[in-house]
Amino acid sequence: MENSNQSKLIAEAKARLQKGKVQRVIGFAQGSLRFVTTPLITSDVDELEKLVINPFIANNLSNYLVGLEGKTAITAKGCDSRSIVSLIQDNKIKREDVVILGIPCTGIIDLAKIEKLTGRDRDEIEDINREGDKVTVNIGEDKKEFAAKEVLYDNCLHCDVPTPEEYDVLIGSPVNPKPEAEEVKLKELKEKLPEERWRFWQEEFSRCIRCYACRNVCPSCFCQRCFVEESQPQWLAPAPHWQDNLLFQVVRSIHLAGRCTDCGECERACPVNIPLRSLTREMYDIVDDLFDCQAGSDKDTPPLMTAYEDEEAEGLFL
Amino acid sequence: MSIIKKIAKKDLGKLLDEWSRDFTVFSPSKASGIARMEVWQGGEASFLDWYRNTVIPPKDIVLPLLEEMFSFSKSEEGYKLETPPADDSKRLIFGIRPCDARALSIIDMTYGDGYQDNYYMQRRNNTLLVGLGCTNPYDSCFCTALGGNPHDTTTMDVMLTDIGDGLLAEAVSQTGKELLQKTAELKAATEEDRTKAENVKQAAEKKISRNIETEGIAEKLRACFEDKEFWQQTAAKCVGCGICTLLCPTCYCFDISDEKTEDGGVRVRSLDSCSFSVYTKMPMENPRSEKWQRVRNRVCHKYEYYPMLFDTIACTGCGRCIRLCPVNWDITQTLNSLPG
Repeated sequence: MENSNQSKLIAEAKARLQKGKVQRVIGFAQGSLRFVTTPLITSDVDELEKLVINPFIANNLSNYLVGLEGKTAITAKGCDSRSIVSLIQDNKIKREDVVILGIPCTGIIDLAKIEKLTGRDRDEIEDINREGDKVTVNIGEDKKEFAAKEVLYDNCLHCDVPTPEEYDVLIGSPVNPKPEAEEVKLKELKEKLPEERWRFWQEEFSRCIRCYACRNVCPSCFCQRCFVEESQPQWLAPAPHWQDNLLFQVVRSIHLAGRCTDCGECERACPVNIPLRSLTREMYDIVDDLFDCQAGSDKDTPPLMTAYEDEEAEGLFL
Repeated sequence: MSIIKKIAKKDLGKLLDEWSRDFTVFSPSKASGIARMEVWQGGEASFLDWYRNTVIPPKDIVLPLLEEMFSFSKSEEGYKLETPPADDSKRLIFGIRPCDARALSIIDMTYGDGYQDNYYMQRRNNTLLVGLGCTNPYDSCFCTALGGNPHDTTTMDVMLTDIGDGLLAEAVSQTGKELLQKTAELKAATEEDRTKAENVKQAAEKKISRNIETEGIAEKLRACFEDKEFWQQTAAKCVGCGICTLLCPTCYCFDISDEKTEDGGVRVRSLDSCSFSVYTKMPMENPRSEKWQRVRNRVCHKYEYYPMLFDTIACTGCGRCIRLCPVNWDITQTLNSLPG
């Protein structure tokens, strides 16, 4: 992910927008806060100069594709490309309407982890640099060095698709998946007794403010009308009782079975630090174990929940 | 004669203990897993080490995310309504930032104007604000653009300034004056302390670089209300979640719902957000069914409608909506790029 790739990305995006091959480009630009990037959605060729590739391009931009008219060029990391494919499988977008500018990715830096390790907030840090497996953080005179695995997002540590599987152009050289690190948080949770685990989630969901950021940033949450907004019948109290907050996430996780690509966007978006990925990753693993299915890995297969094979027959239904 | 006193940082815990005898004292805490104001539990006041501002704004103490309005039940004798016991406990919010305190005065305009919202006003009137000026504002802060500053005393009862080894306490309101006078833990401040505090205030103000031009902003917004293309572009990357509203210190909208119990029910109100499409959903019509309309509403409510109603912008520049936005949607960029 170095600068020559960024120039290549800008050139590729410009070429397509200028020739009218796409109506718009979706990518990342530098945000208004230090280190933070922001989605750039533009039809203006000059704006494309703002496109960036750096270790902070966290968002899963495929979320913006649903409902767009015409063709769109979009930058996609490995996980994002899976979300795009998942949307194609679900018939939410058409493959021919999307030009995927694939970005091989060695992991995105989790600023919250850096803040925790350094004891300083993001805006108190002068510089963060990644070189290979090392990340250096400059705070005033002080220079701190971390192993990349200490400061990358959890889902990046367990990523099996660092290089997009589905793309039109690949910006940069493919990256091989790293051996899977242990899912520490998930392991700890599973080791808890059921009643401890219940208390854990009760505490976590007591903080939920029901902002629905987890749902709104999720490319797989594309329902036009979410079940939480139903009032006849009302599945869930609109008020943020912890029980309803928890039920919301449980139902959301089940709805995402076979769609969730473990992009980690829900957990990143949560303003009150609820470890949502512990739910979605568990669902991802269950789906993988039961059906040998990784969401978004094959655009030509039907979505998991609509596919059916004879050997899955259960007496209850057949 | 203004009252100015001082407390050494190492004695802050004792001060909060003393105040806890007369008040439910709230102070910055991360005990719940997120920075918010929580009831002081005693011990060392270590929050000064990390506290810049809370994620959950202190409005939460006077306008909770969720509260019971009353319960109702039906029996053979008929229907019965029961209101929860009035909460007249005295509260003290320690360390509230100037942006968040001023935000309460903005909510007061709606909840105390004409119709008095008892639920809110009772808590509000029983709450003392002991503010703490900012020495290290975030890069998302822009209070100075809105008539505030990192040591603004508006709405405060007492204002504290961090002078290194201690906090200088200055009475702002009559209640604040009485509080400082009777507090044993507070010591007299020296002339040197006051000079230090002045320097701290000036230094903090210089640290704020984010700005918006508020001159004529309501008129500008009125002029571009119908500019659908502008608002669509502006709203394009917004994901439509409720972070910027629910965690805004001035947003006060709520929803009311009835929750069934065995023999009746409970009427609750919980914070609502104009970012949600269901916020304006009516049986036949939704005047803000599109995201760009909702984004426009949020901006206009703060910067056009509130000034129209109360001659005040309903934003204090706390920067939470910028800092916490999952896609870095930045209201200052929108306000600085209004057409015309």
